[in-house]
Order: sequence, then C-alpha cells, then structure tokens
Amino acid sequence: MSRTSKLVSLDQAVADIADGASVGLGGWIFNSQPMALVRALIRQGARNLDLVPSPGSIAPDLLIGAGRARSTVCVFISFEHHGLAPQFRRAAESGTLKVYEMDGPGIAGGLRASICDLPFMPIPDLATDLPRVNPQHYRPLPTQPGERRLLAVPPIRPDICFIHAQQADEYGNVQFLGGPFFDVMLAQASRRVIVSVDRIVSPDIIRRANHLTKLPAPMVDAVVEAPFGAHPSSSASLYRADDVHLREYVKASAKTDAYRAYLERYVEKPIDSAAYLNEIGAARLAALAVSETNLT
Amino acid sequence: MIATDAQVLPPSTGEFLAVVLARDLGDGEKAIIGTNSDIQLAACNLAQRLHAPNLWWVSGPGGMVNPRREMLLSTADFENIESAEAWLDLPNMVDFIDWQIHFFDFAILSAIQIDRFGNINTVAIGDHAKPKLRGPGVVGIAALTGLSKRFYVVLTRHDRSAFVPKVDFISGPGYLDGGNSREERGLPPGGPKLIVTPLGVFDFVPGSRAMRIKSLHPGVSLEQVRDSTGFDLVVDGTPPVTPVPAAAELEILRARVDSKGALRKKFP
Repeated sequence: MSRTSKLVSLDQAVADIADGASVGLGGWIFNSQPMALVRALIRQGARNLDLVPSPGSIAPDLLIGAGRARSTVCVFISFEHHGLAPQFRRAAESGTLKVYEMDGPGIAGGLRASICDLPFMPIPDLATDLPRVNPQHYRPLPTQPGERRLLAVPPIRPDICFIHAQQADEYGNVQFLGGPFFDVMLAQASRRVIVSVDRIVSPDIIRRANHLTKLPAPMVDAVVEAPFGAHPSSSASLYRADDVHLREYVKASAKTDAYRAYLERYVEKPIDSAAYLNEIGAARLAALAVSETNLT
Repeated sequence: MIATDAQVLPPSTGEFLAVVLARDLGDGEKAIIGTNSDIQLAACNLAQRLHAPNLWWVSGPGGMVNPRREMLLSTADFENIESAEAWLDLPNMVDFIDWQIHFFDFAILSAIQIDRFGNINTVAIGDHAKPKLRGPGVVGIAALTGLSKRFYVVLTRHDRSAFVPKVDFISGPGYLDGGNSREERGLPPGGPKLIVTPLGVFDFVPGSRAMRIKSLHPGVSLEQVRDSTGFDLVVDGTPPVTPVPAAAELEILRARVDSKGALRKKFP
C-alpha cells in the first residue's frame, strides 16, 4: 500500500470552503502572503468570510477589497513603505467591515489556547484599549491580590488556514527556507490546513534537509504547487516582493473602476497559476528572483 | 537637511534621528525593533559600531538576532538571515516578547498619535467603529511598551495631528494619566524615555510624567514646536540645542550601516 498524496490543484484546495467560514492567513506583511490561494478563493466565490490574518498586507486587503470578508481580526495590516492597507482602510473607515482589534499577546495566546485545548490563555493586562473595543477576545481574569494583572483570551480556531511556504513533498511535509513567522502556530490552531508551495520536491530532498520541515505531514491537509504563489509578496530565498506591482495595486485602489479592473485582470481572468504568471510576465518574475545584493 | 559640520554632506532628517537615538543606546543592552523600522535599525547598528559592541537586538517577526548588514533592509526581510548570529522561531520568541517582564532593556517604536504622557496610538483616529483614519494595528506595541524597561518613540512628522492631548486609542501605554498612574494600573516599572522627532528630543518630567522639551534641533524655535504640538509641553528655561551628528558618526552610518543611503532617500 502506498502513502497518500495530499497534492491537489488550487481550485480543488478551496472548492468546499463555505460562506461564513473563518480563514486564517499566514505570512508576515510582505512575506509569504498566500496569494495564489487567496485569488483562487475569490474566484470560488465564498462570502461573509471572517479573516484571521497574521500581521499581513495584500492577502487580507484583497479579500476585503473583493467584498468577500464580513470581519477581520487585525493584529497588524499594513502596506509598510507603500502606506496604509488601502482596501482594509476604506472598509474600516466606512464602518462596513467588523474589525476585531488584537495584539501580539492576544493572537499568540488565542492560538495557543486552541492548540492546547484550553478554554483561554492568560495574557498580561497591558492597560490598552483592546478590551474596550474587543471584549469578545479580551476578558477580565480574576487574580489574587499581589498577582500580576491578567486578561483571558479565548481560543482562536480558524475553520481553515492558508499558508505559503517554499517547498514540500506531496505527502505534506512542508519546508520553510526563511522565517515561519506565526505559520506553525496558525496551522496547529486551525481545523484544516492548506499550504501552497513554490515547488513540490521529492521525499529525498525533504529528508536531506529535514531541519527545514516546520510543518510535518499530519499537520497539513492539502498541498498545492503554486510557483511564485506568494506574488506580489516575497517567498524566502526564492523571490523578493514586487514593489512595482504593489504600487500598481495601491494606485488602482484609489478608484472603484480601477480596482474593479485590477480584480478582473489579476484575479478573475487568470483561472490558474500559469495564467496569472503570464499576466505578470516572465521578465518581471525573473527580476524578482534576483538577490538584493545584485540590485542597485 | 539639518546644518552640521561643513566637511561632510549634512545629515538628512532620517540620519539625524538615527544618530540621536544611537547615542542613548547602551553597551550590553537587549533591544527589540519592529517592522518598517529603518531609523530604529540604523540606530541599533550604529550604536554597535560606535560605543555598544555588546548591544543585542532582535527583529520580532523574522527572528533574526543582530543582523549586521552594511545596508538597510526591512527587519523581516529573509536576506537578513544570512547576516544574523541567531535565527529564532516566533513561537519561542513570543514568550519573552509578549509575556516576560523586563527581558528587553528597550524597544524603539513609532505611532500615528502620541499624547503628553507618552501613550501611543497605532490603531485609529476617531471612533474605533468608524474611524476617521484607520491605522495598521497594535501588533507588539502593547507588550513592548508595557514590559520593556524603557522605550523610545521615533516620529518622522511633528504636528498637531500626531501630538494630541489624549490619544484616541491606547495601543501602547506610556505614563497613562501621568503621576503614578502607570504603576497603580499594575504595569511593571518602565515607560517612555525619549521621543525623537524632526523638531527635537522630548523627555518626561519626574513626578508629573508630563512631556518636556529636552532639546531642540538646530534652527528650530520654541514657538515652532509649540505651534506643532497639540498640548502644552513643559519647558525648563531655554532648551539646549540637540548636539548635531559628528562627522565621524555620519561617516560610519553611511559606510557601515546605510551604505545605499536609504535614510536620505526615505527621510530627506
């Protein structure tokens, strides 16, 4: 009997994600945003999603801009040197998006509570306004006199999470060639884990550098091969973030028509990974795979 | 540009702020900086090159310890990994970032609003449910302001929309309502030490914990700072002029820390 392959297509990976699902998004700002999966989910059409992004950028922003999210956790959603996250900002400022404000201890505590099957995780009470605006995730925790003041964070357990990493075998042993950020915690805390990788490699390659395997097979439900699947964010050691494309995205966000055209050109029309990469162009992609030490 | 020694190209605002911060960072201290932190990163690496070879700093998200390139890259950039002396997994790091008290001697942060007691806001201006301006969020700021021994805030703009009487959202506690309110609220000893802006350097009066002018940068008048600040700053006599970056400091900054001139481009 042979071992079961978890390799599926982008469309298969997102096929049964239902309206109203909570969706965890891995990566960190402009690193490893699971963009190929996000674009596939937008094409699939699921609505009223509750997003649980790690500190992120265009992955939550695109889902919000495409009208797919009814709420998002916000630990940090930023376009860094490109400014504030344009669609997140617009939706939050118009009051149409419910924002569950959280911080580092809150998300780490909530994920740990989920991983450990605890009713809550204690975190330090740091005298912020978080409990005021998000009483659902920050509850008072009675303590004894003289003890540190604490808050209780209930479990954060996304129905599904999207993670992008650099390589995996078809059985779901996932390797990170850079920082895994919150990805491992997010995967452990989620009910279902879908990982896109830039390349599928053989089990021999995985064993040869087994210290890079941060998500072993049992923690992963499906693997998708999506070359440049984090584009326009970076994928560690393989390619850098595409600042030209990010500028184009921010510019398109300024006008409804332009943003609609962006969605059509980069999300709706390219029905698979190859079509998307053709739309970006070979020369651009090749340039992103250059080390910064060679850039002027 | 801020005028300084004639021999070298005068420092840009970003370079000036990095040098001013670097001077306050001590040898042997443990520090943390966030993402999008060019000035903060430059200050740490410049301090290491100048007077603090045992300064130890970590980039929270990327897990890189003491990345030491001669050019500025985002702290989460994977190309920093090869220049770091350690590379930690975030789930291990969150124990000492988000829970442990006083692991870090200091953090260097930024904000969209700051108030007279050094509380900082990175979340929203106006009502949180329908804000006038939606900021990026809290991320590690609550833990770093709440649990480090001290913190710094670097702001690249100084105006009344940034310097407000009371922040609309406390992302990171400063001295809360002033006096002993921070301690009474149960936070460990700590709080903001210096606020560094394009106009000057600011500290906090012992006792009241109200923000005070520590020094003004060359060419900046008291009136200009008052006009740009939405609350009354404490002034003790005539504030001194911030010592300008020395030629040697700028040379090391430009040759060994920011060799591609990112600070000059981003913060002219």
